[in-house]
Amino acid sequence: MGARAAFAAILLATSPPGAAPAQGPAPRIVEVTAERFEFWPSEIVVAHGEEVELRIRSDDTMHGFRIVGAGTNLLIPKRGKGYAVARFTGSQPGRYTFECSRMCGAGHNFMRGVLVVRPAGAAGR
Amino acid sequence: MRLPCLKPWFLACALAPLVLGTPWSAVAQETDSGFPTTGPLSGYMDFHFNKADGEDPVLDFHRFVLLLNHGFSPRLRFVGELELEHAFVEGLEASGEIELEQAYIDFLLSRPLNVRAGMLLMPVGIINERHEPPVYNGVERPFVDTVIVPSTWFDVGAGVHGELGAWRYRAYAVAPLNAIEFTAEEGIRGGRQKGSQANVRNIAYTARAEYRAIRALTLGASVWTGESSFAAPRLDTGVTVGELDARFRRNRLELRWQFAQVAISDAARLNDVLERTTGVSPNIARTMRGFYSEAAYRVWNAGAPRDLVAFVRYENFDTQFRMPEGFVPLKEFDRDAWVTGLTYYPDPDLAVKADYVYLRNQSGLFPNRHLFNLGLGWWF
Repeated sequence: MGARAAFAAILLATSPPGAAPAQGPAPRIVEVTAERFEFWPSEIVVAHGEEVELRIRSDDTMHGFRIVGAGTNLLIPKRGKGYAVARFTGSQPGRYTFECSRMCGAGHNFMRGVLVVRPAGAAGR
Repeated sequence: MRLPCLKPWFLACALAPLVLGTPWSAVAQETDSGFPTTGPLSGYMDFHFNKADGEDPVLDFHRFVLLLNHGFSPRLRFVGELELEHAFVEGLEASGEIELEQAYIDFLLSRPLNVRAGMLLMPVGIINERHEPPVYNGVERPFVDTVIVPSTWFDVGAGVHGELGAWRYRAYAVAPLNAIEFTAEEGIRGGRQKGSQANVRNIAYTARAEYRAIRALTLGASVWTGESSFAAPRLDTGVTVGELDARFRRNRLELRWQFAQVAISDAARLNDVLERTTGVSPNIARTMRGFYSEAAYRVWNAGAPRDLVAFVRYENFDTQFRMPEGFVPLKEFDRDAWVTGLTYYPDPDLAVKADYVYLRNQSGLFPNRHLFNLGLGWWF
């Protein structure tokens, strides 16, 4: 997992509502909700070579967003305080686990999801 | 129904991660730093003012809970929850309790399959696994989640959890209930062994599935089943708890609905045995049932500290719903309640609550009750 994740280019930032994203070709935007104790959606499909911008908003407390093996980690602000932005490029087909990285309660370990990078030509998103 | 032959499965489940090779090879590839890691300390607290008509008001520091956690590695994690109830302990539950409500190791193997072992929350209903005060409306937890589903319901065990597409599941083998502690008023609540030298001559099984294909809606179904008469060997008291629930949230509106039913086999003989032992029949039902519907609206939606929710909830619950042959239901335990109030969030993790409860029963002998409650709950 760690070796494959190294192929994925990831730009992470925390932005207030309406903040301008980083420069570059417009990525597909995926709205993600975090709340105790789940992400929705918890499975995000990315085409090989596609870049997505994850806009992660909390419905309750401050959560974390970490892509396992990628060395990336950011905080998701509390409800009503904006959202976090993570950019992910599906440079290599595979499954990249993400999880809450800030202890948010006894069900914290349930807060996991996966970025699925499909090989070129594979159907389904 | 005794299932001693399944005990090896129970053990195998707990030990499976120690012999599964594939996940461990994945661990070897982990590049994340920061492990092992301990903390930070977290927890939640719940402070109440309760006033029932005809009774003196009460101030109660109901719950003081500390959460401990440690990550041995990204895939091996411990979570513990230690709770002090009613701020003081003097040996009996009525005055206070220290409870180890959760203490488990998670073996995080893959999205569809993970293993958990230790002191577990039973995955039954909306509240039991998410019982922290900012999560629900009302100063006290719903009656159905107290009397029919005996939250906080926890015990020792092991099992699996994971996600498959839009489905989430948990399935555990756990210590059973102790049927001789059941009562007419509180149903199966007194039967929780709470992982304290729990008798596991018989094993109980519990599972929950949640379906979440769209953002606004969560559908859930839970079951708990186990033979629960180990303390009276001549009995064969099986208990099955079935539960369905739904949560819907869109914009300012949140709706919740839950239905739960408890079925107790051999309840007539259970009553007979307990009557011979104590001299009084406990009048335990063969079926207990409850449901509630709640509508909440965020009347102030500008984000904390401008965050206010109004809600109303109707609950109907009966711990004498179906009696074994020869037993008459006690109608004071056929109850319903209207609960309405406000939840104000000066911070998303801090809830200031006020509610009014009108609690009715079907007996002509016992008066209906009016209760006024204030609460302050926080979570960090």
